[in-house]
Amino acid sequence: MSATALEVRLPRPPWSVRGIVVLALLATAILSAAYLQLGTHSLVPSAPGLHAAQKFFVRALSPAVAHESDVPAGTPPLLVNALRATGMTVFIAVEAMSLAIVIGLLLAFAASSAWWMGDPSGAQSWWLRVVRRGIVPALYGTARIVIAVMRSTHELLWAVLFLAAFGLTQSSAVLAIAIPFGGTLAKVFSEILDEAPRDAATALRSAGASPVQVFFFGLLPRALPDMIAYAFYRFECALRASAVLGFFGFPTLGYFIAASFENLYYGEVWTYLYTLFVLVLVVEAWSGALRRRMAI
Amino acid sequence: MTREETVRALYRRRPRSIFLRVSCAAVMVLVALSWGSGGFAADAFLSERRLRNLQRFLTELRPHPLQGREFDVAVAWQWTLDILADRGLAAAGATLAISMLAIVLAAAGAALLCLPAARNFAEPDAFSVSLRPPPPAKRALWKSLTIGSRSAFVFARAVPEYIWAFLLLILLGPSAWPAVLALAIHNGGILGKLASEVIEDLDRGPLAALHAAGASRSQIAVTAIFPLVFNRTLLFFFYRWETCVRDATVLGLLGIVSLGYWIQDARARNHYDEMFLLVLMGAALVIVADVVSAIARGSVRRSS
Repeated sequence: MSATALEVRLPRPPWSVRGIVVLALLATAILSAAYLQLGTHSLVPSAPGLHAAQKFFVRALSPAVAHESDVPAGTPPLLVNALRATGMTVFIAVEAMSLAIVIGLLLAFAASSAWWMGDPSGAQSWWLRVVRRGIVPALYGTARIVIAVMRSTHELLWAVLFLAAFGLTQSSAVLAIAIPFGGTLAKVFSEILDEAPRDAATALRSAGASPVQVFFFGLLPRALPDMIAYAFYRFECALRASAVLGFFGFPTLGYFIAASFENLYYGEVWTYLYTLFVLVLVVEAWSGALRRRMAI
Repeated sequence: MTREETVRALYRRRPRSIFLRVSCAAVMVLVALSWGSGGFAADAFLSERRLRNLQRFLTELRPHPLQGREFDVAVAWQWTLDILADRGLAAAGATLAISMLAIVLAAAGAALLCLPAARNFAEPDAFSVSLRPPPPAKRALWKSLTIGSRSAFVFARAVPEYIWAFLLLILLGPSAWPAVLALAIHNGGILGKLASEVIEDLDRGPLAALHAAGASRSQIAVTAIFPLVFNRTLLFFFYRWETCVRDATVLGLLGIVSLGYWIQDARARNHYDEMFLLVLMGAALVIVADVVSAIARGSVRRSS
């Protein structure tokens, strides 16, 4: 029996939603390319660009193990320098994340609706009613707006603002990462809290616990594994952000990548890039293992 | 057994993991070391010199035509409109266009590479119920395809998009391509990883049924895998697009004409009022993109 004999034609609409979505996205991409006046000709590397790229990528196989030029006496060896830059990258990321988690938890508590909405016990006294109907929703709305504002500006733009306001200090770098990351953590934490299983919370509530007790003993423990897993993922992002802040002059890995690149010491660039790569991989493996252990 | 004894017995049987404890300790040591290293010093941060700097910065945030004058809404509005008409709106358009082109390219690359990266798709007798072990050469070939595409994803997303753009700018020279490609590479790595995980989580039944009916691997991919993973990956697509808008703004700091370029330009000229206006405009753009993406994700969720 030939394959065509088995063919069954099912009635179907002449268009499919998926097809339209894909075509619309492709059309958006083409329109965007037209708006940016991007042709394929500007995709072809220029001759000097190609030459530089060739020299750069050849060094990928032989990263530098010592400085590629004479350095002033007292400069630490390249590998020590890479380790120091890594330490700085980690320190700034950890400081920023610990601030961001505190900010995120406080705002998430205010921006999560799970612990105060639909409370069956009702308001017994007039001031409790005021708190539930007026203050808590107001707090909720304010927290949402604060989160949106913190998140809407990229950490590098916060860094640009803080550099102009305070100058080049480590605190500027830490705050620049902590603010947008705190906002993102708050948003995701509040979503995790709202979607966490409510079994324990309902049981506690019917046993007469107050909303705050329900939050800390019913909701938070159920949501904690997901929250820790997400915080670890954001820590990976904070490491990358902290490395990139080096491009603005903070002594993290990005600073040395930019400096070596501009001096055409491509071997050194690869040493620093590989260091960053290993750092990110180690943290990714760690957080992956943690996530698997906590999923049980 | 009394209630106290039950509680105590439950407490003794609680799950304990050495790995979790060591991780906990490591996190605490890291936090203590970082804060103890003294880099973050509030007193230096709030020293007199820095406070004076801050005060100067805050006075310079006042729109230029209003410096040293009483605040006038009409003048401030005119100043805002002038900057927006001159470069703000065009730069915002470029930022959006960069993000959209980049995310579509990223999705296209991820769509191609996520199939070999999915372990249930990339095996010799995929979806079949044969008990005969496949030839080792064939198995090694598929295995190497999986490892290859997975390490491509890892490398693509381990390098931050800012560094990709920095490297591509040298290679391609000034146009919007370095920003587009940098975002496409980084997000392609993320989308590819997520999409391949969605494929691996697919129910095996429908795919095996198609295979048993005689469908080839590519037919299964087009008629079953692609439709089944479409909605979930579309959620990731819009979620990453939000991030792309944010990042496209910032890549301009490298000299690519998005909002970041003009932010950097205003900063270099010490026009902090203009810089602040453009940062606010970038924030507005990101909030708009967040809302659009939330609406799009909501409609995808409702239709699935």
